[in-house]
Amino acid sequence: MLRVRGLTMRYADGKMAVADFDLSIEPGEVVVVLGSNGSGKTTLLRCIARMPSPTAGEIWLNDTNLAALSGERLRQARLSLALIWQHASLVRRRSVLSNIASGALGRYGGLWTALGGLPAVERRAAYDYLHAVGLVALAGQRAGTLSGGQAQRVAIARALAQRPQVLLADEPVASLDPEAADDIMRLLRHLATHEHLAVLCVLHQIELAYAYADRVVGIRDGRIAFDRPCAELSRDAVRQLYLSEAA
Amino acid sequence: MRCANSISARPLESRRRGAATRRAQLDRGDSLALQLVLVAIVVQAAIVVRARPQDLITGAYGMADIIRRATPPDFGKIDMVWWPALETIDLGIFGTLGGIIMALPLAILAAANVTPSRFLYYAARGVIGFARAVPDLVWALLFVTAVGLGPFPGALALSVHSIGMLGRLFAETIEHMDMAPIDALTLTGARRVQVFTHGVIPSILPSLLGIALYRLDENIRSSLVLGFVGAGGASASNCSRR
Repeated sequence: MLRVRGLTMRYADGKMAVADFDLSIEPGEVVVVLGSNGSGKTTLLRCIARMPSPTAGEIWLNDTNLAALSGERLRQARLSLALIWQHASLVRRRSVLSNIASGALGRYGGLWTALGGLPAVERRAAYDYLHAVGLVALAGQRAGTLSGGQAQRVAIARALAQRPQVLLADEPVASLDPEAADDIMRLLRHLATHEHLAVLCVLHQIELAYAYADRVVGIRDGRIAFDRPCAELSRDAVRQLYLSEAA
Repeated sequence: MRCANSISARPLESRRRGAATRRAQLDRGDSLALQLVLVAIVVQAAIVVRARPQDLITGAYGMADIIRRATPPDFGKIDMVWWPALETIDLGIFGTLGGIIMALPLAILAAANVTPSRFLYYAARGVIGFARAVPDLVWALLFVTAVGLGPFPGALALSVHSIGMLGRLFAETIEHMDMAPIDALTLTGARRVQVFTHGVIPSILPSLLGIALYRLDENIRSSLVLGFVGAGGASASNCSRR
């Protein structure tokens, strides 16, 4: 489904953030990316979503190379690719329901949505997504009043409203307590298994990776360090990944 | 080893201390020069405006006399003043609304983080700067020439002049907002206009309303003097009565 070939991102100052990265994910699979701070994990995810565009490489989503698209065609291709951010990134002054329904905006082009309106059918669907993340009671609440865990769940519901094929999650549990982090990861696992989404998730918590991932990809200095099924990954290999970064 | 280190560190330390002392002396010199320049500016301003504080004391009786005659207000003349007063307030309302409608699109173009192109950014900044640089009385004179005497040219003048302040402050508000929700909406595949109406506007609405209310307050006060050039408001009826 999602295949990344030779993805490279070099910044204007010459710093190489991601170098010649290969990766593939299939529907129903959860792939976790591990690596220490500054190793290029977030840049990798952002480059896959083309924000920013990579310096080189190919990003194949089914039969479409996202790296070769621009303008309207890129916008349409992005509909299949949802990104969950580290800090939820909700519009704080809008209601939870409006934030979720706004995930579907890309499928509508009329004057009503251009003027700030939301399609009634999407508002109804937003309730279903809220139900899926267990927050129906908060539908009318302002997004700015939510706790970190609740906000992250709403961000996942917004991503579901987009009806994507691939879910990219950039440290979705970074600011959450262990229980909330577990809940979020269980939800992502559920979406991969039951909704057949391909989930690519950046994490720092090794235990969560072991608990919920099918495959773990290690990244060091922007390069792939290992890409192994979870069952074949030794804790020593993961420790080495972080130790070599510290050194 | 420790000995070698301490020997080589000593000249380095003294060089650092010397540089710090020189920098401190330079800072003191700069600060003194700056203070002298500031004093010179204030003194020349006082000379140019021929400031005579003692006149305020000798003229206190005149000011008190005006206040005495203005209070209590003479409500017997209310039928003569209510229409010009309403006209003055409405000039401010129309001018502010017109200003908002014209300033908002310009502010989007003039905000570095959302502008679609560098050329449009500078063009919008230029228009906003020009609208602000030309005083509202001059705009009123231009519009009186174009559409004739009355409150309408005054309202147009306030609208165009408001673009200057509203456009600048709206653009700065957009530039300082949190871009994460905007990027998140963009990545859902939302169109540019949808990102603006569903992300940018809700995020900055309270600030925009605050700026608009401040401008309304300013426009109502400005509309008081537009009558001097025949552009409506309370001063227009005052001038025509004289």
